[in-house]
Amino acid sequence: MKTYFNKVSRSDLEFFEKLLGSRNVSTSEEELVVNSIDAFQGDFYRADVVLWPETTEHVVEILRYADQHRIPVYPRGGGTGLTGTVPVYGGIVLSMLKMNKIVEVYEEDMQVTVEAGMIYEKLNKELEKYGLFFPPDPSSGSVCTIGGMVASNSSGLKAVKYGTTRDYVLGFELVFAGGRKMKLGSRTFKYSTGYDLARMMIGSQGTLGVFTEITLRLRKLPQDFKTALAFFPTVESAVKSICKIVRTGLDVAALEFVDEPLIKNISEYKKISFPESKAMVLVEAHGSARYVEDVLEGCCNIFRENDAVDIWITRDREEREFFWSARRSVYPVSLRHSRYLVISDLVVPISKLLEAVLKTYAIAEKYKIKASVIGHFGDGNIHVHWFLGDNRELLPIAHKANDELAEWVIDVGGAVSGEHGIGTEKKKFMKLQHGEAYDLMLQIKRLLDPKCILSPGVIFDVDEVIQ
Amino acid sequence: MTIEKHNGEYLDLLLQDVFKCVRCGFCNSVCPTSNISISYMGSRTSRGRIVILQAYFSNILNKPIESDEIQEAFDYCFGCRRCLDICPAGVKIPQIVWRVKSLKARKRLLHRFLFSNYGLLEKICSKMPKLSNTFLSSSLGKTMLERLYGIDRRVSFPKFYEVSLESWFRRRRFQNSGGRKLSYFVDVFTNYHEVDLGIEIVTTLEKLGYSISIPPQKEAGTILFEEGLIEEALKIARYNIENLYKSIVNGSVILTSSPAAYLALKKDYPEFLGDEKSRIVADNTFDVLELLLRDVEEGRVKLDSREGFKITYHHSCFTKASGLTKTIKRLLSYAEYDLKEVDQCCGIAGLWGMKKKHFDQAIEVGSGLFSELKNLAIPVTSQSETCRLQIRHNTGIDVKHPFQYISEIIEPRP
Ligand SMILES: Cc1cc2nc3c(=O)[nH]c(=O)nc-3n(C[C@H](O)[C@H](O)[C@H](O)COP(=O)(O)OP(=O)(O)OC[C@H]3O[C@@H](n4cnc5c(N)ncnc54)[C@H](O)[C@@H]3O)c2cc1C
Ligand code: SF4
Ligand code: SF4
Repeated sequence: MKTYFNKVSRSDLEFFEKLLGSRNVSTSEEELVVNSIDAFQGDFYRADVVLWPETTEHVVEILRYADQHRIPVYPRGGGTGLTGTVPVYGGIVLSMLKMNKIVEVYEEDMQVTVEAGMIYEKLNKELEKYGLFFPPDPSSGSVCTIGGMVASNSSGLKAVKYGTTRDYVLGFELVFAGGRKMKLGSRTFKYSTGYDLARMMIGSQGTLGVFTEITLRLRKLPQDFKTALAFFPTVESAVKSICKIVRTGLDVAALEFVDEPLIKNISEYKKISFPESKAMVLVEAHGSARYVEDVLEGCCNIFRENDAVDIWITRDREEREFFWSARRSVYPVSLRHSRYLVISDLVVPISKLLEAVLKTYAIAEKYKIKASVIGHFGDGNIHVHWFLGDNRELLPIAHKANDELAEWVIDVGGAVSGEHGIGTEKKKFMKLQHGEAYDLMLQIKRLLDPKCILSPGVIFDVDEVIQ
Repeated sequence: MTIEKHNGEYLDLLLQDVFKCVRCGFCNSVCPTSNISISYMGSRTSRGRIVILQAYFSNILNKPIESDEIQEAFDYCFGCRRCLDICPAGVKIPQIVWRVKSLKARKRLLHRFLFSNYGLLEKICSKMPKLSNTFLSSSLGKTMLERLYGIDRRVSFPKFYEVSLESWFRRRRFQNSGGRKLSYFVDVFTNYHEVDLGIEIVTTLEKLGYSISIPPQKEAGTILFEEGLIEEALKIARYNIENLYKSIVNGSVILTSSPAAYLALKKDYPEFLGDEKSRIVADNTFDVLELLLRDVEEGRVKLDSREGFKITYHHSCFTKASGLTKTIKRLLSYAEYDLKEVDQCCGIAGLWGMKKKHFDQAIEVGSGLFSELKNLAIPVTSQSETCRLQIRHNTGIDVKHPFQYISEIIEPRP
């Protein structure tokens, strides 16, 4: 690896200790190791130092210093990222976990300003007092931070109704490489004031700037909610139901697909005996009690038309939470069954969903590996689980299979990531995904971070940025 | 196989489990120590500890696991087991932590001696309760507890009762009736410090037609597991299993009233020993509240109504881990108590929160709970003995075992 960067030296550490206090600077072996990996099944790297800024001014000073001394900086929130946004070039891990407070709740405007290190579920717990919530609901919500969500444009089970993080970010304060602090966006729901730079920063995975304070619009907590589970004799009938629900305009809050192998995993993990089926659909409705009943009835009619073998409707909050917690655990539970696992985050226009599932099975058969499909099908998001069991040797084959599927997805107008991001994992698809726009992205990166200090190796290879 | 002789193999036992971890961090979200101010440091969290081991097994960690710094990271786990339920990958986090702690613990000979004999020490002290109580609350006694067991001077060591439950049981005149046979696995706290609870349990169950015995036994050994003294804990486990198994062969089932004792018999012993006898003991172990619930539901016992009487049910970590929560709540609901639930750890975690190095952190963990209980200002029930102690100390509120809220309203049998 070419050396573009400097290692953190003794005098650098002295600077950071003076700035942050020694408790907010760590070079201990255990701290470096723990902060140098995320939830992606990749290799271990090692930062030179972990820093915990407590204010935006701290971030400004750190980025100014790092830029001057060519030290890489990797912002980090809850560390639940699934794309390997880790310190591949060493340097600083900038942990935002101490910037974790609510700055202000604008109850009348239904908005909140938070520091970037605030944990998603903790924020929503606080907002409950106002009858408000921030909807995206990623499965990692008990651990991930608002900054991490904005940097990844995360979403989750409820995106079909509520959209993604991007739809809620009104504005933020961020610090660019070199330490320039700026406010982007506004506190209004709409504005038409030239280039929308704020939106460009969302999903940038720590490569363009460090978010310090974020203003989010909020939604009113639904009065009522209810979930139904439907079981189908074929994948086709399940996917057809999902597409019909979307096309009918039924206002569902979640619309999830799970195929047979993963149904079995959930059933074993939560000790539920589901009816025999090839696919399961989970649907949820939000609103007044009457509205929720109507929406679910509409869905159930569609399920019946499509030969559902059984339909379960949750009776109370506890039962509903039970099924959704099972759904949230699917990815880690898969690891119980297969020590090595490759997971994809593809997204297609909904008319291509069925083809995508069948294509997955065909590719799996071609490469002779096991695959299973789950996803937020209401918005076209597919997570394929490629199971390798204990056989690490199958990793290249799984990646080949996944690449083949990803290329097909791009070809039909889809994208290689719906919510997890590119990270170090999916860089290889960037050119294919964006064509000429990729060069424009590189130019933007060079403009905002010419020394490639921010998250080098993430989204772009360093030697493409620094020419 | 002893740990000493098979260090490599012994650590390798962890390997499979450690790599099941996907680093989702769900365990951090339920771990009570995530409240401690230092938990912004990843290495002081539950996920962090497992990642340290992943690095170790990947030959990335440039520090021995026995080193003080790594051991300190593991010392932040106090074995409450809340993470076991949430970890979707099924990683047995506390068991892993005990094994890691054992690498250092077994080399600390004095520590090993003192902890493996704490049951005996309690027994000796209980023979002269007045003297022991006076000594342990004196400055010299506190210094000794601090030096030998690391217990903070601010801790008021639980008082020894005038007689142990075992001696009371042996000395009394009453002869058991020939009813359903129970062998009571008492554990240290009830035997020496909360003897009145033990007496109440024995006498009430006898009135309900049970015939009770107290077979030879030692402490449950949970503290030893948590100190990383696994071999010593297992020695005790084997002794207890042998004796309890004999009771079962003689037609008894095993009775417990402490969640730690219940967990030891139901989960820890069979998991570590993996033999048929401990499995049979586990299958035949019942908590006193399970027995009462069965009696109520099968019509053998009737409860008076306590409609309108407000109590707070505190979810102790061990009750949650043992799966007894539903049983207890159901029993209390038969009595129509007006139940408010509080699900936060009190921070004591057996001995952990009494230790000098963790005393303040334990208060930090429990502070949310204490203020919630003070706001509610109604009596509290908690199944765990050390939670009762900690809550009483930090709130001044009356805390009882759920059994005590039930026993007072059992209607006399027709
Ligand atoms: C079990 C599990 C389930 C998941 N489910 C979902 C899901 O349903 N939907 C979904 O979208 N994702 C999901 N994810 C992925 C992940 O949780 C999300 O991407 C999450 O938003 C990451 O947040 P974090 O705080 O953990 O960020 P980190 O992992 O710490 O960082 C993620 C990226 O954000 C950058 N970053 C973090 N904070 C800042 C900041 N303040 N300024 C600039 N950049 C920053 C980092 O540099 C990195 O590039 C899941 C992950 C796991 C492990
Ligand atoms: S056992 Fe308790 S203290 Fe230990 S890691 Fe799990 S939740 Fe945390
Ligand atoms: S919950 Fe389990 S899988 Fe997730 S980080 Fe903790 S130990 Fe690992």
